[in-house]
Amino acid sequence: MVDIIYSGMDKLLPFQWLAPVFMKKALLALLCVAPACAAMGVLVVNFRMAFFSDAVSHSAFTGVALGLMLAVNPMITLVLFGVLVGLGITRLRSGSELPSDTVIGVFFSAAVALGIVIMSHRRSLGRYLEAFLYGDVLAVSRGELAGMFALLVIVLAFVGYSYNELFLIGLNEDLARTRGTRVRLYNYAFSVLLALVVTVSIRAIGILLVTAMLIVPAATARSLARSAGGMFWYALAAAVISAVAGLAASFHFDTATGATVILIAAILFALSYPANIILRR
Amino acid sequence: MNHQNEHTHHIELHDVSVKRGGSVILENVNAEMHCGEVTALIGPNGAGKSTLLKAIAGLIAYSGVIHFCTENTCGSGRPQIGYVPQYLDFDHGIPITVLDFLSMKEQRRPLWFGHRRNAASAAKEGLEWAGATHLMKRPLGGLSGGEMQRVMLAFALLGKPDVILMDEPVSGVDASGEEIFIELLHKLQAEKHFTVTLVSHDLSVVSAHADHVICLNRTVRGQGSAGEVLTPENISLLYGVHSAIHHHPGAHNHG
Repeated sequence: MVDIIYSGMDKLLPFQWLAPVFMKKALLALLCVAPACAAMGVLVVNFRMAFFSDAVSHSAFTGVALGLMLAVNPMITLVLFGVLVGLGITRLRSGSELPSDTVIGVFFSAAVALGIVIMSHRRSLGRYLEAFLYGDVLAVSRGELAGMFALLVIVLAFVGYSYNELFLIGLNEDLARTRGTRVRLYNYAFSVLLALVVTVSIRAIGILLVTAMLIVPAATARSLARSAGGMFWYALAAAVISAVAGLAASFHFDTATGATVILIAAILFALSYPANIILRR
Repeated sequence: MNHQNEHTHHIELHDVSVKRGGSVILENVNAEMHCGEVTALIGPNGAGKSTLLKAIAGLIAYSGVIHFCTENTCGSGRPQIGYVPQYLDFDHGIPITVLDFLSMKEQRRPLWFGHRRNAASAAKEGLEWAGATHLMKRPLGGLSGGEMQRVMLAFALLGKPDVILMDEPVSGVDASGEEIFIELLHKLQAEKHFTVTLVSHDLSVVSAHADHVICLNRTVRGQGSAGEVLTPENISLLYGVHSAIHHHPGAHNHG
């Protein structure tokens, strides 16, 4: 199946940088991860959940360490632990009078500290960490690629079904509640899915920058769009352009792919301000 | 719930108390809001008026009992409530239009595939009721306080409410803003027969439009018709010795 896609890519996109198989695989991986992040990112900006996403991504320290220690595929422990942290934050946030960022900060630090404690105890684990810190989309396996594609399908189905309700909750929970929206259920579902998106994307973008993949295209969209629908399309376009251009540039300049993608996303964001001024004339 | 036959609701509050962070905001509130009437909640800043509305709307935890009664039944099942807060706490830079906002509960199809025709016509109808059709394409973040409240009223009306709960309409816009708004609400209420409870500072507006007045300061200090309640003695008791019926152009408050 994947081989058919590869030969199709050879015919349709005869670029030198796309010739190696690992580059094709990387492009496919980014084309799954970037739109999934963009679709969630629009709502993350609306929900002000950037810090939540950061906490989940940094819990990967512990997720990876646990996997290596227990001799399980670290991608599995990483995703499971990230979802657990996401659920924990959401639960504590709704049941406590502590400010939301304090709750997240506590989880954030505890998860990172636990990961570092485990790693420092078994120093040999440390060398595996770099691939997760910066991401390594060029080394994505077929199984991981399949996981990323499944993620994209789930995200589009979920966001397609509940975009309007989620947008309303992000605007004002009380209004949503009085019009019959099941706010708690949506909050939990969104948090779990966001934790999934963040942890799965870490493989491609890295712990340090995965939140940027959510936030930066959405921020670009926010400054260009005029409507709730427009914001979605602008974010999607910004994410896909950054992913493709970032991959090509990283091949050309021999730089880390995840970071190059985010750098291009940031350049697009910077350009969105003058573009906005021109468009509004 | 059968909205056609059991449209009218009156609300009974028995010993409703709200505590937050150790302090008592409302204590043993006993009151009634009658069906098909306009009930005004009055009281000084910090009296717990907005909190009482939120308790009735089911948005905060309270002790005591709130009953919603139709002609035949009386229970704690909540009717459809239209809640119009004083202002909407949201990110004003978010690029959504009034039509986007009003469509969010009218269509399941995600807004990135555009507005469905019936969602757009529902939104238009809601804005017509609220006297604000001209706002349809405006960005939500660019509306004035008064415009925003009309849009929120339209949003509430689209839920086909049995009860409208409205917090202090239109503060700080212009002197006649609140009066015009309550007139509009009064007219709608006569057409649609919902029960209205509103918070107001403007006692002259209250005396002109409210059928029933509840004076609140942590607990109920008096209730009855406007003529019965708005006596100089009651008002000075509620607001302090030097108060009289006059207009409050004040800014936002969360009484």
